[in-house]
Amino acid sequence: MTTRPLRLAAALLAALALGAAGCVTAPPAKNYDAFKAADPHSILIVPVVNNTGNVEAPSFFLSTLPVPVAELGYYVFPTHLVMRMLEDDGLSDANLVHQADPVRLCGLFGADSVLYVTIQSWNAKYLVFNTTVEVSFEYVLKDGKTGTTLWNDKRTVQYSSGQGGGSSGNPLADLVAMAVAAAVTKAAPDYMPLARQANDQVLTTPGVGLLYGPYHPQRQKAAAPVP
Amino acid sequence: MRTDRAILALALALGAAGCATGPKRLYAWNGYDEALYAQAKAPQDNEKYLEHLKQVIENAETARDKVPPGIYAEYGYALFTNGQLDDAVTYYSKERDTWPESRVLMEKLIRNTQRLRESRPPSPRDGPPAPLPATNPAPAPAGAAPPPQGGRP
Repeated sequence: MTTRPLRLAAALLAALALGAAGCVTAPPAKNYDAFKAADPHSILIVPVVNNTGNVEAPSFFLSTLPVPVAELGYYVFPTHLVMRMLEDDGLSDANLVHQADPVRLCGLFGADSVLYVTIQSWNAKYLVFNTTVEVSFEYVLKDGKTGTTLWNDKRTVQYSSGQGGGSSGNPLADLVAMAVAAAVTKAAPDYMPLARQANDQVLTTPGVGLLYGPYHPQRQKAAAPVP
Repeated sequence: MRTDRAILALALALGAAGCATGPKRLYAWNGYDEALYAQAKAPQDNEKYLEHLKQVIENAETARDKVPPGIYAEYGYALFTNGQLDDAVTYYSKERDTWPESRVLMEKLIRNTQRLRESRPPSPRDGPPAPLPATNPAPAPAGAAPPPQGGRP
């Protein structure tokens, strides 16, 4: 009878570990001195540079950026409007935007800082019933007043078309579902989950990501004078 | 045995809670990222984007929540491309008043839109969008105003 509680404890531990497995392990601490000193209130998100052969990658990736950045408590400039204005200014190529002087760029929009994202590599592996896509991103945040780098990160994220598929309890049905998913991924890959996953890991992981902005409740708590 | 299962499920949920979505969201986005992506893929489909932005604004205003940053401005710009210059100015002003960080950009856009507005007769709101000149008539500072999108398909 003594084994039962033990078994339960072991199962509990395993379940906890499984549940937590989705988390990222704590990476080495970053230096946030320059970031804290600059204290940006607004972030200009500019078009994404693409170093891969995937033509659609930059526009879908750009569209996933404003929500997480704003949710961290920053003012985010209207992304689509910014893109059109840059195009009208002769900066339709994202490479040109990234090469432009960040101080001048931020001056045009009245932005405190600018976020550059580059897609470094894009490798899709098409297996029989599953497609795995591995993407490497680089994120850089620069100060609008001095042009210095306030924060940066590089990350490689893997996404599998079989993810989250779950099992229906019927092996044959699962097999068919996976085959369909692989075919769909091949024809029209669903990039959004992959991009969101990358943003979650890079931008919003405490100790790694961006600091909380002025509109985030955490930050407002911290900034309140201690009685 | 049933309680064991319940405890296990609870432990799983607890383990996952540590890294999931975290606290409540600051804003109601209504799938804004998907709409932005659709708009980037098919820029000629302005109507759909316009409708989506309108929905986000109405939802937030009805709930007396803050409209997410950039949304009033995006809506203003979509109206601008539709030829509704006065409405564009209204929403650029809302963005400026809601988010002080946007003041520099919004005032530039308002100035340029008003200048454009004065240089041509007002267009009927509900009529088909009047064709806009292809270039920005004002010698504005670089990047100050998006030239209107003439000749929409």
